[in-house]
Amino acid sequence: MPDSLALNVRSVLAERGSDPGDLVLKPIPGGASRETWLVEGDESRWVLRRDPEGSVSLVPIEDEFALITQAHEAGVPVPQPVLSEPRGGRFGSAGMLMSFVEGTSVAPRILRKPEFEQARARLTAQLGDALARIHSLPVSEVGALLPAVEGDPALAQIDEWERQLDEIGEPLPAVELGLRWLRANSPGPAEPRLVHGDFRLGNFIVDEDGLAAVIDWELAHLGDPAEDIGWLCIRSWRFGNDDRPVAGVGGLDEFISAYESAGGASVDRDRIRYWEAFGNVKWAVICARQAHDHLNGVRRSHELASLGRRIAEPEWDLLELIS
Amino acid sequence: MQDRPTAPELLESVAEYLFGELRPEVPREQRFKVLVAANVCAVVAREIRAGEEPDREDLALFNELLGEEVEDVHGAAVELSRRLRAGELDDRIDELAPRLEEHVRRKLEIARPGYSEGDE
Repeated sequence: MPDSLALNVRSVLAERGSDPGDLVLKPIPGGASRETWLVEGDESRWVLRRDPEGSVSLVPIEDEFALITQAHEAGVPVPQPVLSEPRGGRFGSAGMLMSFVEGTSVAPRILRKPEFEQARARLTAQLGDALARIHSLPVSEVGALLPAVEGDPALAQIDEWERQLDEIGEPLPAVELGLRWLRANSPGPAEPRLVHGDFRLGNFIVDEDGLAAVIDWELAHLGDPAEDIGWLCIRSWRFGNDDRPVAGVGGLDEFISAYESAGGASVDRDRIRYWEAFGNVKWAVICARQAHDHLNGVRRSHELASLGRRIAEPEWDLLELIS
Repeated sequence: MQDRPTAPELLESVAEYLFGELRPEVPREQRFKVLVAANVCAVVAREIRAGEEPDREDLALFNELLGEEVEDVHGAAVELSRRLRAGELDDRIDELAPRLEEHVRRKLEIARPGYSEGDE
């Protein structure tokens, strides 16, 4: 498969103006629900993301491509989008090609390696700036790509993740309690914005100067912008740096100050805390779903299997937040 | 009766090999997978050591919260989840949150000791 895929990627690139020569495709591990390939030519590198055969994702890849294109134009650091192909096109399943971004997205490396010391010092403010730009994208444009949100966006998200939990069918009383708490404590409607949906350490490509790209837009939706901030801050994404809520590197004050200076609307701390509780519910359901994918043979993997035993971590953080 | 090592001792020996010997030898992009494998062995070893006590405690807790005598822990968790979803326990959320922490703490003692103390 990679051989014929490599030929097709080459012809796609050649059509766009310059033949990149022979290409080598190498799988990049770690993608949650999409296949990711590193495409190496003689002089340039690209990244190909595509749906696994037979799988359907929340945001169709063509729409993810369109979102990244708009984000790119608005100055959000993202990989330069090249083009997307529909299902049955030259990438086999639906896929998109983009530029390769130097750096790493591996959280422990970003948080502990000495070469990222300057990056860590800058990252909090850079994230605030990038997220403000994402939330400033005109809803009239991004809204055409995403389902409309009617009523309270919190209730829409609760419905969505409750539905996902039902598909799994595992009893998780702590998550159920969290869902009821979230229903009862919604902070009320917010002006709908483009929510990235997975804005967290692990989806940031970081180089020695800090944030190089925000990746993995497949959970994007319209909703309360504070949702992205709460998700960013959940303890799971601090990777052990528990006292630094923003991606394990910084504090909320510095983040919010950068967010507001870059045009983000002023954010209420209680609203962020609410979405942090929601984020723990969401991460617990995602863990359960990934373990379920392994159990059902959708994708056999000990990494996915092990996530079933990590459900307890966001459950704990959830209960601590709502107690 | 099986000979020693016991099941958890065997799993710990595999975890030590994976973490201590194999992990530094594999390419960098494979190391996380080896770490996960080692961790899975350690989790299962702790679960075997803990025996049936955590399930018994969870069953007692769920039955207390339900006010019923369900016989198996999975059935009790299903019933508790169902009632929560139906909103039948909405007026008891404040009371239930710390009680369900007891259940989650028992899961963490197997899956990730120390997490509920925030000491990692």
